[in-house]
Amino acid sequence: MTLRDKPGLFSALIQSHKGIIYKAANTYCKDADDRKDLIQEIIFQLWKSFDNYNAAFKHSTWIYRIALNVAISFYRKEKRRKEISHPWPGSILNLVDSPDNKETEGQLLFLQQFIAELKELDKALMLLYLEEKSHKEIAEIIGITETNVSTKIGRIKAILKQKFSQVTI
Amino acid sequence: MEETNFVLLWKEHYEKIDQTLAINQRLLKETISKKAESALQSLLRLKARGIVVAVIYLILLGIVLFYAISHYSSAANYFIVSMGIIFLINVKALYDYIKHLVWVNNIDYDGSVTEIQQKLTKLQLSIFKHSRMMVLQFPFWTTFYLSDKWFPQTVSWEYIIFQILMTASFTFLAYWLYKSQTLANANKKWVKILIGGSGGNAVISALHFYKEIEAFKQTS
Repeated sequence: MTLRDKPGLFSALIQSHKGIIYKAANTYCKDADDRKDLIQEIIFQLWKSFDNYNAAFKHSTWIYRIALNVAISFYRKEKRRKEISHPWPGSILNLVDSPDNKETEGQLLFLQQFIAELKELDKALMLLYLEEKSHKEIAEIIGITETNVSTKIGRIKAILKQKFSQVTI
Repeated sequence: MEETNFVLLWKEHYEKIDQTLAINQRLLKETISKKAESALQSLLRLKARGIVVAVIYLILLGIVLFYAISHYSSAANYFIVSMGIIFLINVKALYDYIKHLVWVNNIDYDGSVTEIQQKLTKLQLSIFKHSRMMVLQFPFWTTFYLSDKWFPQTVSWEYIIFQILMTASFTFLAYWLYKSQTLANANKKWVKILIGGSGGNAVISALHFYKEIEAFKQTS
C-alpha cells in the first residue's frame, strides 16, 4: 500500500463496513450528538491504526475491535466529554431515510432496551451474537476463550428469554 | 419469542439502516487529513485548565527559587532546600500526570476488548498512584520560612518545641497519607475527598471496571 493509495483504500473499507461502525456507536450511545462524535472518533482511531493492520485477522474483526474499544472508552468518558464543545459540524455517517419499523417496533424497542441495560462488556458480546459472529471470532474480538463465549451468550440469552416472556404475559 | 427471531429482528432492522446509511465524504476526508485534531490536542483541551494552573504555580515557585539561589545567603538555606524539594515534587507529579494522560490518550485500540480496556483502566489507575506523591511536600511547607539568622538561636524554647512538633506531625501526616492512599482504600470517603470530586469518582469507576473485566474473563 503506497501513501497515495491509503486514503482511497481506507475510504473503501469504511464504505463496506459502515454498518459495523454505526451499530457499535448506536449500541453504546443513544444521544444523537454524542453518537456523531463517537463515530468520528472510531473512524479517526481506525485511520490511526490502519498502517498497523494485521492481515491475520479479518477486516471485520479489526473494525469490531477498534469500534468496540473506542465505544466503551467513550461511553465511560461521556460525562466528561459533555463538558467540552463538539468540534464537528456534521456526522460522517448519516441516515438518508429512516427505516420503517412499525410492525416490529415494540419488539425492537424491547431488544434495544435490554441491550441498553447490559454491562459494557456484555453489550459487546450481545452485539456480536446478534451479528451472528462465530464463537471463534467473538473470542478473538473480546479476548476470552470460546468456552467462555458460549457460557456467557447462553446466560444472556436465557435472561433475554425470561424478560421477554414477562413482557408478553 | 424464539432466540432466532431476535437475531432476525436485529438483522432486518440494520439491513434497512445499512441501505440508507450515507458517508459524508468531506468529513471523512477531513478526519483522515491533518485537519483532524490529534489525541494530544484533545487531551490538552480537556485538561487544559488544571495543567495551566499547575504550570503557572511551578513558574512562580521557580522564579522565587531562582531569585533565592542567585542572591544566595546562608540565611536562605532553609528556604532554598524546602522550596527546592517542593518544586521538584511538583515537577515530578506534573510530569507523571501529563505522561500518563498522553499514554491513555494515545493508546492503540487494536487489540481484544478485554485486553485494551484493562490496559486503559490500569493507566487511569496509575495516575491515582502517582498523585499521592504530592502529599510528600507537606513537611517542607513548615520549614521554608525558617532562617539560620534567627532559628534556633534567637527564639524561645517553646517556639523550638512548637516548630519541631509541627514539622514532625506534618511529616507523619505526609507519610501516613502516602502509605494509605492506595487503590485498596480508594472506596473510602476520606480518600475520595482527598483525590477530589470528579477525578476521584473516575478512579473509583475505573477500579470497579477493572474488577468487572477480571470477573468477565473468568469462565464459570
